[in-house]
Amino acid sequence: MSETRQAGDALREEVRAWLAENWDPKLYKSRGGADWTSTPEQRAWLAKVVEARWAVPRWSAEWFGRGLDDAEARIIEREFARVGAPGAGQDRSNLWANTALAHATPPFKAKIVPALLRGEVAMCLLYSEPGAGSDLAGVRTRADAHSDQRGDQRGDQRGDQRGDHFVVNGQKVWTSGAATADYGMLIARTDWDAPKHKGISFFFCPMKQKGVDVRPLRQITNESHFNEVFLTDVIVPAENLLGPLNGGWGVLQTALAYERSVMGEGARGPRSGVAESEGEEPLIALAREAGRLSDPVLRQEIAKAIAHKKLNALNTARAKADLAQGTSSSIMSLGKLAMSRILHEEARVRTLILGAQSMLEGQAYPRAEDANFLALNAYFTSIGGGTDQIQRNIIGERVLGLPKEPEVDRDVPFRAVRSGATPKGTKKD
Amino acid sequence: MATITVEEREAIRDTARRLLADRSTEADVRRTMESESGYDPALWRQLGELGLLGLIVDEAHGGAGAGAMELEAVMEEMGAALLCGPFLSSSVLAASLLNALGDRGAQDRLLPSLADGSKIATVAITGPQGTWTQDGVAITAQEKRGAWTLDGPAFFVAHGQIANVLLVVARTDDGFAVFEVEAKAAGMHIDPLPTFDHTLRLANISLNNVAACKLNSTRPAWDAIEDALDVARVALAGEQAGAGAKVLAFTVDYTKNRFQFGRAIGGFQAIKHMAADLLLESESANSAARYAARALAESAPDAKAAISLAAFACADAFSTITATAIQMHGGIAFTWAHPAHLYLRRARADAQLFGTSNFHRERYLTELGAPA
Repeated sequence: MSETRQAGDALREEVRAWLAENWDPKLYKSRGGADWTSTPEQRAWLAKVVEARWAVPRWSAEWFGRGLDDAEARIIEREFARVGAPGAGQDRSNLWANTALAHATPPFKAKIVPALLRGEVAMCLLYSEPGAGSDLAGVRTRADAHSDQRGDQRGDQRGDQRGDHFVVNGQKVWTSGAATADYGMLIARTDWDAPKHKGISFFFCPMKQKGVDVRPLRQITNESHFNEVFLTDVIVPAENLLGPLNGGWGVLQTALAYERSVMGEGARGPRSGVAESEGEEPLIALAREAGRLSDPVLRQEIAKAIAHKKLNALNTARAKADLAQGTSSSIMSLGKLAMSRILHEEARVRTLILGAQSMLEGQAYPRAEDANFLALNAYFTSIGGGTDQIQRNIIGERVLGLPKEPEVDRDVPFRAVRSGATPKGTKKD
Repeated sequence: MATITVEEREAIRDTARRLLADRSTEADVRRTMESESGYDPALWRQLGELGLLGLIVDEAHGGAGAGAMELEAVMEEMGAALLCGPFLSSSVLAASLLNALGDRGAQDRLLPSLADGSKIATVAITGPQGTWTQDGVAITAQEKRGAWTLDGPAFFVAHGQIANVLLVVARTDDGFAVFEVEAKAAGMHIDPLPTFDHTLRLANISLNNVAACKLNSTRPAWDAIEDALDVARVALAGEQAGAGAKVLAFTVDYTKNRFQFGRAIGGFQAIKHMAADLLLESESANSAARYAARALAESAPDAKAAISLAAFACADAFSTITATAIQMHGGIAFTWAHPAHLYLRRARADAQLFGTSNFHRERYLTELGAPA
């Protein structure tokens, strides 16, 4: 116990000393968060962190790590956080690097992992398709194995490569960062005769090539945060395959688990959820401003909407307390469903308060803008990342232990599986 | 009040759970609810012996000296077991009113017998509209040569017909006051009411020139009454959360074992999604009740807001869970023999006690700094 503490103290001193010598907040003006790789100075800092083995201390020495346990690694993260320096804790938070480390082929891993840790490559996700949303295993983007002759024929950037490659065709959607990405984590079908989960492979797909067509997707909110990505004869070197051929569904589960744990970390941030936010509740402020705070019907609706929010914060706080005591908590899994209700309800009550004004839009009517934006953007939460209905299935099955949904397409060759919205009278191949 | 650790609180909860698993089974509940008194005197004595009747009575008066968090935990168990009896009236509302008023003589006289179960007390506040508010109080008190007499009615007095002692809220020339009245006092009429929740007992009382003992209060009596009501609201929220969780558990269990169309009905999304929604209701109720208990125990600045939030969140959750549970069960839960309706009846009664959900939403907004 005391030896552990001493070791922890020594580590803390070492990190502090290193940060004191190397970290300059003025030089590396931090923007924080995942965007923290936009300038050469920032990337130079990340390279320094990787070299000093602070980026992924839980990993082995072979891979820029120190083989530390979680408690020790957290000491490093805390010291970095204390001075506002980014780059530590990537063994928890860097989805891309973790996935590559676990599943990439040795030659590709050697290239890509350090580049990812140093922020030298930008990434995007190529999972969802117009016909594969909630049912992600239904992807129809195809990756066909080819010998290297075809690459030679094309005479493009792949021409000098030895070995096989894949040619990818299909369409992906809801991709953020596609226009700037160097690679996309791609799932594509490689065996059409296997059942749907068993014919998918996972790739790091090079994005800067002919055949990758990125088009911004206009959302119902009139914004464009996402893209459609059309892939036409896109070349992916065989060494960019992660995990076994047709074993992509397993790789995807690892990647999704990292994604969720990072999102979970976000939910377990410094916000306790218990203390009331400073200032007045926005719905109360809006009703006051609209002169409708004395309307008894509205007051009931406002109280209900605020309560949804507060109850979710209390649930989160209780889940955290359970976790701190080592009890696993099922409450965490309710958060997304609760958040979806909170957002839709807030939009509904804002609209009730505004009345006829909610018919307007534009900068001259910011309250109407807010209410209408919320009413539309609430679907981002109730559809994105698993619809409310999928969420209820997950809660029913994983938390309450109810029987799983029947999967009529589970053991059927994918070729024979129907998916997407096929108009009446048309035939899909 | 002595500091109670988490382990001690869980031990108190376990004590209640074990006793009730043994003595408040569905068969016990059905037998007791059909009895005239509506409680089992033998079980009541046992609750006293185990320190549960005096849970929030201080140790000097023979109680356990516990606080709101322990009370909430015990009430979760009592709700789950649908305990029949005047616990909420006597051990919670009457005891907390005596605590809040601070009349030492009355405390010495009454608290020990409430704690050991030898006496049952209740509180009469409610007017004809069934509100637990100042404007509902319909009993007036008059003083002649140092002796007080009470006149007027009170309605929906919980367990009024089995109480030995009533703490009666009345109007005086100097504002509200609380009076101690013997149930057998001359001029006191107690009319039992038929209740939809058969596990509950309610009575109307009317007083005609009834001699009463005025209890002293260290502060305006209504403040003490409001504090006592808040303790009862936390307890009731715990009961609702515990009962709701129990109903959800047996309902989910049923849907795993009821087969139709060759499948367990819990495998159908129509049922599965209802269950998922109810889990959110149930867990939220639990969080709200426990948070309110902690806020009250710690005298947090947001305690009143937290209590009103728990009051409407737990009342609504319990009502929704029981109502939906019957639908999820199907025909079996439409039968008298099935326990679901017992919980639905309890939920509907609980939703009226100590202020409706609408009342508490109104109070919640006011506590958040937005009075009407």
